[in-house]
Amino acid sequence: MHENKGNVYSLYKCRVLRVYDLTDDVKLFLFRFEDPDIAEKWTFIPGQFVQLSLPGYGEVPISICSSPMRRGFFELCIKKAGRVTSKIFELKPGDFVGVRGPYGNGFPMQEFEGNDMLLIACGIGMAPLRSVFMYALDNRWKFGNITVINSAKYGKNLLFKKELEAMRDVAEAENIRIIQTVTRDPDWPGRIGRAQEHIRYANTRPDKSYVCLCGPPQAYHDIFTKLIEHGYNPKRIYVTLERRMKCGVGKCGHCIAGTSTFLKYICIDGPVFGYYDIISTPGLI
Amino acid sequence: MRYVKIYNEKMQEFLERLKNYGKLYAPVKISDKFYDRKEIDDVKKISFDCLRTIMPAKKFFIPPYEELFEIDIENADYKEKIEETEPFVLFGLHACEIVALRILDGVYLDEFPDIYYANRRKAGIIIGLSCLPDEYCFCNLTRTDFVDIGFELFLHELPDGYLIRVGSPKGHKIVDENPDLFSEVKKEDIDAFKMFEEKRQKLFKYYGSFDNIRYILELTMKDKIWDEEAEKCLGCGNCTMTCPTCRCYDVQDIPDIDGKHAKRIRFWDSCQFRSHGLVAGGHNFRPTKKDRFLNRYICKNAYFYPLGTSYCVGCGNCTYFCPANINFLENLIEIRRGINA
Repeated sequence: MHENKGNVYSLYKCRVLRVYDLTDDVKLFLFRFEDPDIAEKWTFIPGQFVQLSLPGYGEVPISICSSPMRRGFFELCIKKAGRVTSKIFELKPGDFVGVRGPYGNGFPMQEFEGNDMLLIACGIGMAPLRSVFMYALDNRWKFGNITVINSAKYGKNLLFKKELEAMRDVAEAENIRIIQTVTRDPDWPGRIGRAQEHIRYANTRPDKSYVCLCGPPQAYHDIFTKLIEHGYNPKRIYVTLERRMKCGVGKCGHCIAGTSTFLKYICIDGPVFGYYDIISTPGLI
Repeated sequence: MRYVKIYNEKMQEFLERLKNYGKLYAPVKISDKFYDRKEIDDVKKISFDCLRTIMPAKKFFIPPYEELFEIDIENADYKEKIEETEPFVLFGLHACEIVALRILDGVYLDEFPDIYYANRRKAGIIIGLSCLPDEYCFCNLTRTDFVDIGFELFLHELPDGYLIRVGSPKGHKIVDENPDLFSEVKKEDIDAFKMFEEKRQKLFKYYGSFDNIRYILELTMKDKIWDEEAEKCLGCGNCTMTCPTCRCYDVQDIPDIDGKHAKRIRFWDSCQFRSHGLVAGGHNFRPTKKDRFLNRYICKNAYFYPLGTSYCVGCGNCTYFCPANINFLENLIEIRRGINA
């Protein structure tokens, strides 16, 4: 879905509607398109990203973290990490930004239909997976059991902690299990340990499940091992990756990754890749 | 394909008339060793034996620096800066460079077409010229030593003139509008053409099938040679700047001094720079010089599927312009040792 036929780098003007603090350095922004036609038509697939421009500061690629079923607005979860995101942090409701996209392949949601879904997020990785989760909630009848494993170093770093906590008991009745775990926080009252140690508590049936994974690349191999140990089908494991895309449309070359037999632009061939792509391609993660 | 001939006596007039179709750019000698493609006033200055220019032809289509948008910061307004490009003629492109432009076409036009590039590509008239390889050339290995499309006219050297292949409607137009310059191709011209091609083929340093290099490269990525060669590398990025298919760019917003307006610019970037693989939060996907060094070999030897060739077109620019004397081809030959193709 790309409407600007003239110039692929043109931006849609968006207004910030609300800003929520998620953690000390992560905020959730709610945006709305200024042009009502675009607002009505614009949609995306969970796992896709947009290029967000702050006038005069630059452009950054950010995963969308809301459900595509809610038309007219979208949410971005942004961590204060660099020059542009630090400035984005100062945005207030009513401010304007430029947005283009959505870009990337996204998760194959149609393929997931009729199956269980295990979502494993480490740290900021919850952002793109929240879009998958929200989409699944909006289309609950299309999917089987769902488990969300949300992990972080400290309790205060867990993204969407309150939102997930609030729905936990209700969700359980709907065959949705929410597991929030931290690795280094002695004061955390809940579960302790890395995400992979909680896979065994998931309500998803390994032979009927798709797995979506997002987190720091270093964590992937351990999680893969654990998943396969539990009987999850490697063919059904999907991972979403990050790079600092400058264009989002397969031109600028910043997200080129892979080796000489599997050279991919993460912005157009990804950011979602299958397990076999990952293990056969050093340099992808 | 349509073939015509032009005699040497008429070449000067031909070059003069090319100016009618747009600004003429052709290689001129700028120092003892180097050539550059410059706007031509006096056609006598054009160099016909130039094999490689210091800047590849990509600079005419993807300028080293370009403004994309004018930004009104207060209103978050982005005004695109698209200027009509005047027609221009690029004279003296060799086969490898024309293939390189077709690779750029694939990247820039096939999916999400880039209008800035498309406009310039439409305005460009490409006149190809045959060449004799030097010790840096290996376009025979990458199968880019001959090109079928992607040019208006392609000139092949004959003893008394040039055999011209007409490759596009624009090319036909040039031939039709200047009937006094061109004549029919005769039997002896075809023989001379064959002889030239044979002589050219014999000048290459290596022969054989090179397509398996991408597997061999993958299998030898941990070899010692890459540590040694990366150690020599200065990380200057010359290889990528002079590469006719390297197309990485960076984008930045540059605010004006009043803080109310800004420009969004893009400029050439290189995977040899440390900042290229950096992501927010400080993680670098290519933290060491060896990672970056190897990345170029991987990227260049990967397949560009729409054309069926690798991204490397075998021009030898990266080796010729390397200040550390790193030989791209010899390194590939080294890891291929054991295969007698």
